[in-house]
Amino acid sequence: MTDELLVVRAQLGSRSALEDLVTRWQRPVWLYVRRMLDSERADDVAQEAWIAVVRALPRLREPDRFAPWLFTIVRRAVLNRLRDQYADRHDLVGGPDRGAFDRPDDAVPDAVDELVDRAEMIDRLAGLPVLEREVLVLHYLEDLSVQDCAQVCGVPSGTVKSRLNRARRLLREHVEGEVS
Amino acid sequence: MSNEEPRASVPEVVAGLNETLSRTGRVRAVGTFVIGLAGAVFVAALWWTEPGPLPVLTQVTFGLLMVFCLTWAGYGTWLLRTRVALFATDRVVAAWIGLAASALTGTMLVILAVQRGSGTWGPIIVAAAFMAVAITLVVRAHTHRTALLRRERTLNGKQES
Repeated sequence: MTDELLVVRAQLGSRSALEDLVTRWQRPVWLYVRRMLDSERADDVAQEAWIAVVRALPRLREPDRFAPWLFTIVRRAVLNRLRDQYADRHDLVGGPDRGAFDRPDDAVPDAVDELVDRAEMIDRLAGLPVLEREVLVLHYLEDLSVQDCAQVCGVPSGTVKSRLNRARRLLREHVEGEVS
Repeated sequence: MSNEEPRASVPEVVAGLNETLSRTGRVRAVGTFVIGLAGAVFVAALWWTEPGPLPVLTQVTFGLLMVFCLTWAGYGTWLLRTRVALFATDRVVAAWIGLAASALTGTMLVILAVQRGSGTWGPIIVAAAFMAVAITLVVRAHTHRTALLRRERTLNGKQES
C-alpha cells in the first residue's frame, strides 16, 4: 500500500491507516532526529514530532508529498529543541563560515564520496555542523531528492547543494585527518 | 551510533498519540467551542432585549457572562487548532453539531425577541448569519470528505490494476 493511500485513509479518520504510517516511518523519523540530537533527547523529540504530525495531518493538502512534509515537521521539532539548547543563533547555524553556505553550487556529484561508506559516515555525522548534517541525513540516509530537502529545510535547491558540498568536504577532511 | 535503534516501540509511539486522537478530546473541543459561542450569543440577545435601562450591576454581570462564554469559545478554538486532530469524518460530525447548535440558538433568539417585543429583525438576521456559516461548514466538510473518498477509490484502483 502506498504512503499516499495510507495518508488519505488516515485523513478520512482510519486509525489503522495512521498506525501503519507510524509503523512505516517511525524508524526513519527517529534516525533523522538521532543524527541531529543526542540519544537522551532523540526519543522525546521524535514523539513530539509524531504528535505534531498527527495534529497537522488533516490539513495536509498533497498526500502524495507525505515524506517531505513529514520531515518538515520533524525538522521543526528538532530545531525547537536545538533553539532551547543554543542561546544564540550563531551557534545554531554552526560557526563563523556561514557566508559560504548560501552560495549556490550546481556541481554536485550523484553519490557521497567514495572515501567513506554509509556506516562510517553515520558515525562521523555527529561532528558536522547542524545544517550540513541535516541535509546529509535527509539526502543520503532518508533518500530525499535535493528538491525535497529544499522543501523540508525551507531553502532554495542551490543552498541544499552547497550545504551538501560543504558537508562532503568536511567529512572528507575528517577522514583524511584520521588517516594521516 | 550507526547500530542504534529507537528505544520506543511502534505501539509505544502510537500510545503516545492517544491523547491527540482520543474521541473524548475531540468531542470536548467541539463542545467547548459550540457551547461557548452559543452561550455568548444567547447572553448578548438577553442583554440586548432587556426592556428599559439596566442598573450598572446588571450590565456588569451581563458583560462578565459574555466574557466567560467568549473565553470558553476561545479555548475551544485553541483546542481545535492546536491540540486535537479533526479528520474528515470528524469535521462532518462537528459541522452538523454546529448546524444543530446554530439552529437551536437562532430559534431561541427569535422566540426571546418575540416574547419581549423588542423587534424580531435583529435576531432573525443574527440567526440567519449563524445558519449560513454553519451550512457552509457542513457543505465544505462533506465536499472535503467526498474528495478524499474519491481519491481513495482511485488509489485503490491503481493498486489493484
